[in-house]
Amino acid sequence: MSASWRGELLHIHIAPAASYEMEELAAATVVAGRGIEGDRYFLGTGTYSKLPAVRDVTLIEIEVLDALARNDPPLQEGPIRLAPGDHRRNLTVRGVPLSHLVGVRFRVGEVILKGGRLNFPCKYLEQLLGQPVYQPLYNRSGLNCSVETGGTIRPGDRITPL
Amino acid sequence: MTARLIMKMNVVDVRTTGEDVRVLTLQHPRRPLLPDPSPGSHVDVRLPDGKVRQYSLCGDPGDPRTYRIAVKREPEGRGGSRWIHAHLTEGAVAHVSAPRNNFPIAADAAHHLLIAGGIGITPLAAMAYRLRRERKRFTLHYCARNPARAPLLLEMRTICDDRLHTWFSDGGAACRFDAAAALADRPEGAHVYCCGPGRLVEAVRSATAHWPEGSVHFEHFAPLGQDGFEPAPFEICIASTGRTYEVPAGRTALEVLRENGFSLPSSCELGVCGSCECGYSAGTVIHRDVVLEPAARRTRMLLCVSRAEGQVVLEL
Repeated sequence: MSASWRGELLHIHIAPAASYEMEELAAATVVAGRGIEGDRYFLGTGTYSKLPAVRDVTLIEIEVLDALARNDPPLQEGPIRLAPGDHRRNLTVRGVPLSHLVGVRFRVGEVILKGGRLNFPCKYLEQLLGQPVYQPLYNRSGLNCSVETGGTIRPGDRITPL
Repeated sequence: MTARLIMKMNVVDVRTTGEDVRVLTLQHPRRPLLPDPSPGSHVDVRLPDGKVRQYSLCGDPGDPRTYRIAVKREPEGRGGSRWIHAHLTEGAVAHVSAPRNNFPIAADAAHHLLIAGGIGITPLAAMAYRLRRERKRFTLHYCARNPARAPLLLEMRTICDDRLHTWFSDGGAACRFDAAAALADRPEGAHVYCCGPGRLVEAVRSATAHWPEGSVHFEHFAPLGQDGFEPAPFEICIASTGRTYEVPAGRTALEVLRENGFSLPSSCELGVCGSCECGYSAGTVIHRDVVLEPAARRTRMLLCVSRAEGQVVLEL
């Protein structure tokens, strides 16, 4: 695809183990082939750690969260305010076409990620949040990535195609 | 068991009540409003070895900024309360789940009879706060050996005034709570809530045998986790065709059905994503997922992890 987009890293969140609340980081160490230091998928303690699919780092578009907040599309009773972190993805990004990045390498600051499969929403998240997010996140619940080149990332980092 | 968020909360206050009970006040470092602590709820406290202990919330449920639990030190217990007494001191961080309520107040009751034994006061204390605030009719019978063995006693005196009846058995037979006498007649629209040692629970259960179904509530903590679960073979019957399939102990219903040509959605196959949820119309299902609500479990199951005793009839 053409290098026509340019995005930004807004938030970094990790959770130490399955079901634990996400915590926001001002900077994160990303390790090739593993994920973000301290995160459940780095440590192998995540809900889905036993599954073979790559899940070193997960991303979600702020544009999706904004759409949920204005009840677009109106699949549920009203707007859903999902704070960054509540969605349980590691990186909240702006201006990044995640569904175009399956199988594609791209840069987040000094780190290089490769898109794995698109993330699938789960009922588990609905249970944790007590909010009906399953349907509204369908087909837009983010991208699971592997880490090709590690490094340190911070909110504000540029996200660009390679 | 459904999934709940686990929070790292600060222990902001610890005080002793009675002989061996500590009351811990927990506050979240960033969330000013905590997930709804409805009266009767409990939280899971995580121990360092990954094990979990359940404690009823005993504070004022009208205060959404803090949770309060009371932990009795059980020297002969499994070690959870000893660890909490030793380590969850003021300033410590406790790993606590969002609350769940298996013991709610009945909204339509005309009179609420709360019956507590010792540390069993905890969920009933939260109920007393709420009932008082809502000006509902209630009575609290509080049983213990003596006042020193009655946690939160002073607080309950303040909350309940003359609605509190104490029964301290050290005072002799006349001071014992007589469940049969107290519960022989059911006031119109009354509900009973009981939490305490087995003997008290049994006395209340038999004293209310003639009460209508659904008007007597007990708090009991179901065993958690999947320790020692041994999968056994079971049979699936497809409602629409009547065909049956054997699921061996080492396989899942999902695998067996797929092998037999059924095209079924699934994603995590761990009982957490909910993709393979399906209906059933007969059979005793052993639910092993973390997503279905208790009410849904009567008619729905997850084919990837849940099993059945004998035969289950599926509505695919």
